[in-house]
Amino acid sequence: MIPRFRVGIAQMRIAKDPVILSALGLGSCLGIALYDPQVCVGGLAHTLLPAPRPQDEISRPGKFVTSAIHTLLQEILAAGAQRENLQAKIMGGANMFLSLQANAEEGIGARNAAMARKVLEELAIPLVAEDVGGHHGRTIEFHLATGTVQVRSLRGGHKEITL
Amino acid sequence: MNLPELSKSQCDALREISNIGMGHAATALSQLIGQTIMLRVPRITVTDISQVPDLLGGAEQLVAGITLKVLGDARGAVLLIFPQESIRRLASMLIPGQSEDPAQNEMGASLLREVGNILSSAFLNALGGLLNMTLIPSIPMLAYDMAGAVVDEVLIELARDSDLALLVETEFYGHDAGNSSISGHFLLLPDPASLAIMMRAIGGEA
Repeated sequence: MIPRFRVGIAQMRIAKDPVILSALGLGSCLGIALYDPQVCVGGLAHTLLPAPRPQDEISRPGKFVTSAIHTLLQEILAAGAQRENLQAKIMGGANMFLSLQANAEEGIGARNAAMARKVLEELAIPLVAEDVGGHHGRTIEFHLATGTVQVRSLRGGHKEITL
Repeated sequence: MNLPELSKSQCDALREISNIGMGHAATALSQLIGQTIMLRVPRITVTDISQVPDLLGGAEQLVAGITLKVLGDARGAVLLIFPQESIRRLASMLIPGQSEDPAQNEMGASLLREVGNILSSAFLNALGGLLNMTLIPSIPMLAYDMAGAVVDEVLIELARDSDLALLVETEFYGHDAGNSSISGHFLLLPDPASLAIMMRAIGGEA
C-alpha cells in the first residue's frame, strides 16, 4: 500500500518515492508539482493566489504561487534533488464562476497559472506539462515513483488524464 | 488583519442574528416552492482555510454552489450549497418539464442564481436591519462542480488576510416526507475586518 498524503489549500509537501501526494477539488487554485526523476523526490503545493501584496505577510508560503515555488525549490533541494534535473507541472487554475463581466483571462485562476509560468521560467525550471484553465474542478494525484500526475474531473468533459 | 477572537456571548449573538436572518431566507424559499423549510441552529466554526471543503461534505462531492459578495457597511461572501438531487427537485418544482441537470442549461442555471439571490437578499436584509447596517448583495454566480473547487474561489478573498475562516453555517431541509424534499447549506463568511465591525454593531465587549 503506497502511503498517500493530502495537500490542503495553502499547504505544501515534499516527499520521496513511494508516496502519492494529492490535492482534492482544485478550482481556481493551482497545484504546482516539482520533480526530480533521477532520485524520485518531488513536492506539491496547493496555491490560492498569485503573489502577496506588499503589505501582506507571508504566514504560509503555500498560499501564494511565488512563495510556494521558491519554498518548494529550497525544500526539494534539501531533500536531495538536483537543480538541473527538476521538472514542473501545473494543474488547476480554472474559472469556476461564470459571471457577467468576468473575462476568463483575468480570473484569479488564469493569473495563478500565468504567475507560475513566469516564476518557473525565471528559475529556468522546465514546465513539462500542464492542465489548466477551463471552468471545471480537478483532483490531482502526484505519483512520486514515476512523476506522473493523474487529473480527475467531474465536469471537464474528460474523466481522467495523465500528465 | 487576522480574525478577531470572539467571546462566547459574541458567538451567541452572531448565531442568534444569523438564525433570524435564516428564518427570513427560509420563509422566502418556502413561499417559492410551497414546502415547509426547517432550519437547524446555525453553527459558528472557526477553522483553518484548508479544512473548509471538508465541512461541506468533502472536497470531491458534486454540488451546486451559488455565491455572491456582500458589499456595503460590512463585507464578506455568502455561499449557498445544494446537493445534486436538491437542485433537480428545485428545478422540477419551479420549471415544469425540467428534469435534466438544471445547472447544465441556461434556464436552470438562471433559476438557481435567482434562488440564491432571493435567499441571500432575505438573509442580508434581516441581518442589516438588526445590525443597523446596509448590506448589499452582488450579482449571484453559479458553479456546479466539486465542492472543493466551488469553495476555492470564495476563500480567495478571505485567505489574503487570514489563514482562518469564520463560517456561519445553517443547514436547511424540506419538511415533506418522502423523496421530494430539498436540502442545502447556507454559509456566511464575513471577512476579518468586517467581522470586527459587525461585532461592534452587535455590542458587547470582545
